[in-house]
Amino acid sequence: MARVITITSGKGGVGKTTTTANLGTALAMQGQRVVAVDADIGLRNLDVVMGLENRIVYDLVDVVEGRCRLRQALIKDKRFPELFLLPAAQTRDKDAVSPDDMIELCNNLRREFDFVLVDSPAGIEGGFRNAIAGADEVLIVTTPEVSAVRDADRIVGLVEAFEKGHPRLILNRIRPQMVNRGEMMSKEDVVEILAIDLIGVVPDDEVIVTSTNRGEVAVMQKGSQAGRAYNDIARRLLGEDVPMLVLTEDQTFLEKFFGAIGLRPRRAAR
Amino acid sequence: MGFLDNLLGRKRETSSTIAKERLLTVLVHDRVKLTPDDMEAMRAEIIAVISKYVDIADPEAIDVSLLRGEESDHLKADIPVRRTRH
Repeated sequence: MARVITITSGKGGVGKTTTTANLGTALAMQGQRVVAVDADIGLRNLDVVMGLENRIVYDLVDVVEGRCRLRQALIKDKRFPELFLLPAAQTRDKDAVSPDDMIELCNNLRREFDFVLVDSPAGIEGGFRNAIAGADEVLIVTTPEVSAVRDADRIVGLVEAFEKGHPRLILNRIRPQMVNRGEMMSKEDVVEILAIDLIGVVPDDEVIVTSTNRGEVAVMQKGSQAGRAYNDIARRLLGEDVPMLVLTEDQTFLEKFFGAIGLRPRRAAR
Repeated sequence: MGFLDNLLGRKRETSSTIAKERLLTVLVHDRVKLTPDDMEAMRAEIIAVISKYVDIADPEAIDVSLLRGEESDHLKADIPVRRTRH
């Protein structure tokens, strides 16, 4: 039974596209057949984050308007045999697609895949409504900042109003040292405010920048904390009971200890 | 300063607690859809009604605020009234 999961946030720039790319890759690495759908029509980005920008021939709007068959528009990721991308159109806008179009598209994709991950545009207008139209489940991405959490709260209300069940939360770009100093809201603070279930916490990790620079994703990088966090979320989506990652600071206590007595534990060696 | 506060068991007002408090206030207004203007108008009407029955001690000390609750949000009005002896 295929699952259509929309990744959304309200506010822009909190990591929806990075989350979609990483969860899609992580699920594919675990043997699931996955398609990542870029629903941000006109602001195509999932292709560059996944490193597939040079292979686009057709896009989502071509499929909806019947210029190509669905399979022709799907780009296969050569690194992961089970991972595909359906890119957004870059030269059109959100009005090129209706919620009914998206429902039909998602239903067609269900026949071919285990997971359909839909990357939503920012905002609460038509693009967002298109992105959640075909969803069975919704994941809301936020960062621990007042603006992002406020927008996430608005999205929670809308997702419930559209009868898409209870959305689950991904808290992105947590900086454990700042949380410990009381200079950043903790996951407990954000969960208390939004009152929805948390499916994962992703630390702020330079690997996100460096891997995206190369068109790779963090889950491909061994030793990346963000990659590990996304892998854990993928396993939770598959129903595994994975304990929440205890986020370490730049140096863990053990690393400091080993460092002090002149040993270098393996994490410091990467 | 922080060290001293911790030692004396004082709760420090860190930027994260300020963020949380600000968010809780803004969200309760977002959710109830009450603008600051509406809030002020309501406050004035509440004072008018209450003062028909009791003497309000200090109109400046009246606190009308929205609070977040588990199931629903609450409108709380704290109105000091004057004691009278007969």
